[in-house]
Amino acid sequence: MATRHRLLLDGEERTVVVDEAGDQVTVTVGEGEPLSIDVTTSGIPGTFSLVIDGQPAQAYVTRRGQGFEVTVDGRRFLVGPATGGGRQRGGIGGKDRLGEVTAPLAGVVVDVRVAVGDRFSAGQTLLVIEAMKMQNEIQAPHDGTVKAIHCERGGRVEQGALVLEYDADGTETAS
Amino acid sequence: MFKRVLIANRGEIALRVQRTCRELGIETVAVYSEPDRNALHVRLADHAVCIGPGPSTESYLVIDKIIEAARATGADAIHPGYGFLSENPRFVDACEASGITFIGPPASAMRALGDKVSARKLMETAGVPVVPGANDISADDFETARREAERIGFPLLVKAAAGGGGRGIRVVERIEDLEGAMRASGAEAASSFGDATIFLERFVTEARHIEVQMMADQHGNVRAYGERECSVQRRHQKLVEEAPSVAVSPELRKRLCDAAVAAAKSCGYQNAGTVEFLLDKSGEFYFLEVNARLQVEHPVTELVYSVDLVKQQLEVASGEALPPLEGPLEPKGWAIECRINGENPYLNFMPSLGLVERVEVPLGPGTRFDSMLFDGLDVPVFYDSMLGKLIVWAEDRELAIKRMRRALHDLLIAGVDTNVPFHLALLDNEDFQAGRIHTNWLENSFTMPALPEDDPRGMTALIAAALASGMVASAAPASAGAPASSRWLRAGRANAMQQRVAAGGGRGWRRGTGSS
Repeated sequence: MATRHRLLLDGEERTVVVDEAGDQVTVTVGEGEPLSIDVTTSGIPGTFSLVIDGQPAQAYVTRRGQGFEVTVDGRRFLVGPATGGGRQRGGIGGKDRLGEVTAPLAGVVVDVRVAVGDRFSAGQTLLVIEAMKMQNEIQAPHDGTVKAIHCERGGRVEQGALVLEYDADGTETAS
Repeated sequence: MFKRVLIANRGEIALRVQRTCRELGIETVAVYSEPDRNALHVRLADHAVCIGPGPSTESYLVIDKIIEAARATGADAIHPGYGFLSENPRFVDACEASGITFIGPPASAMRALGDKVSARKLMETAGVPVVPGANDISADDFETARREAERIGFPLLVKAAAGGGGRGIRVVERIEDLEGAMRASGAEAASSFGDATIFLERFVTEARHIEVQMMADQHGNVRAYGERECSVQRRHQKLVEEAPSVAVSPELRKRLCDAAVAAAKSCGYQNAGTVEFLLDKSGEFYFLEVNARLQVEHPVTELVYSVDLVKQQLEVASGEALPPLEGPLEPKGWAIECRINGENPYLNFMPSLGLVERVEVPLGPGTRFDSMLFDGLDVPVFYDSMLGKLIVWAEDRELAIKRMRRALHDLLIAGVDTNVPFHLALLDNEDFQAGRIHTNWLENSFTMPALPEDDPRGMTALIAAALASGMVASAAPASAGAPASSRWLRAGRANAMQQRVAAGGGRGWRRGTGSS
């Protein structure tokens, strides 16, 4: 029985087909070759021990919203479903979707420097989040206009939380 | 020896001190702020006292609360760890007034070393080399200043005697600029500190940060445990430390150790301390300051000198003499420490904190991990971002670098970002491997490599996420009747149904608290 998963990794949509026949598991990523997979795990959250075409790998998988956070050899990935609910950043170095600003870290919002309807330009500081005694300025990824603000001064935000929505100037998509 | 020791700290250092106490049969008292209730140092102590809310100014920094906790639990000594109250002479006075032994230097030594100019004069008298300079110059005495500047050489620094926090400091490259710099520095010092006195100091460029670990007992014995190299720094924060240093020969080591012993004797120092030096390109070294406490990076010294520094701190504080030496003190092998911080090296080292889902600690030969992490720890936002210290020992530096690389790959911290990728990149850097480093090297010459395109780890993550999606889907009530089609799915399904992580990010529950 084959199952098709549409997943979002680092802002990029990927299709992964998992085919299970008895105890045989085959996985195909995008247009790639089918890979023979041997997998064991105690559950989620938990460690997935994989042998991919004879090559061992391990991943620590936990739920994060509608998707998963997967840690592989020191790198964290957020893998979300490609449609709806995927309001997470793409893990380390990940980017927000166009029109959305998410909190890159958990902390306390100490300043909101724009209001709904304000125009801003790329690089302008929109808000400031304090964590571990350090103030972190959250800058606009694009030129645009503030559509909605989902946090308030003095409030706590979690990493990946949607804090601001905007209408981006122009119609180009996020690079 | 003490019967019961209160540890006035938290995090990995509270655990570090506790471990030695437990080995020596000394009972421990933990203090904790409310968000630290679940911390390991609370669980593993013999007694625990809550000392208030999260901000350290309302808990770990409140002298009266710590003293009261010591009294209430009958502690006969206090170990301050590092940071917080460890270098506060008023805390030492308060311990003394309550008849509690402070495990650290006397308040008088702390005060003598705390002021920059007084420490400088103390070291000059003791024959410890200080950065060439001239003390106590009036900001309008240009004639004296010019004469002294010619003697010191350029570039030099004009500094405010009462200065601090970088205020009142000017770099002077040429003698023509001296007067202007003195006026500016004097004016800034007068307005900031109400004292226009300045002093001149040679600007030592491309210097290494070399420090010497010393230990002094109450009987006049001072011992120096060689040097640590701490030149890898960002914004004056040390990130990697090693012992010994590639830049220190046995002959230089002896001179550094002699200087550290003289520094300790100059002010009646007792207990553990670190004498910091600048080592310039020509091999000359200069006194910087004394850190009157146990240092974060003490484990590298412990590994190359086979010594438990906390044990010696407890012994000398209880009046014992330093143990006799069986031979000359020489470093054996090589030790490196990497500070593992909760920060994202790909996002300008932005702090990353939150729930640590899972920790897998590196093991194997020569590997030590001093940390307060455990599965399910929600790292409090009130304190610094250090999650632990990974320390390795090997026969030589090259092997130690290889071992550290292996250990970093073995370390799993899921749930928060860490600077492990930075450490791996540093270990691969040619300058670092050759030991060609100084205190500005990291900020001036090191660039964090970008994330690799087409990272093979992304493929593994995608495959794991797709398999996880399948597990969750088959465990969901809607498809509860569908047969589990493979072994791993059946095995994992029960666990998948027991979502152990609450939606809010926290894990577990707590009852029985009086406070809220």
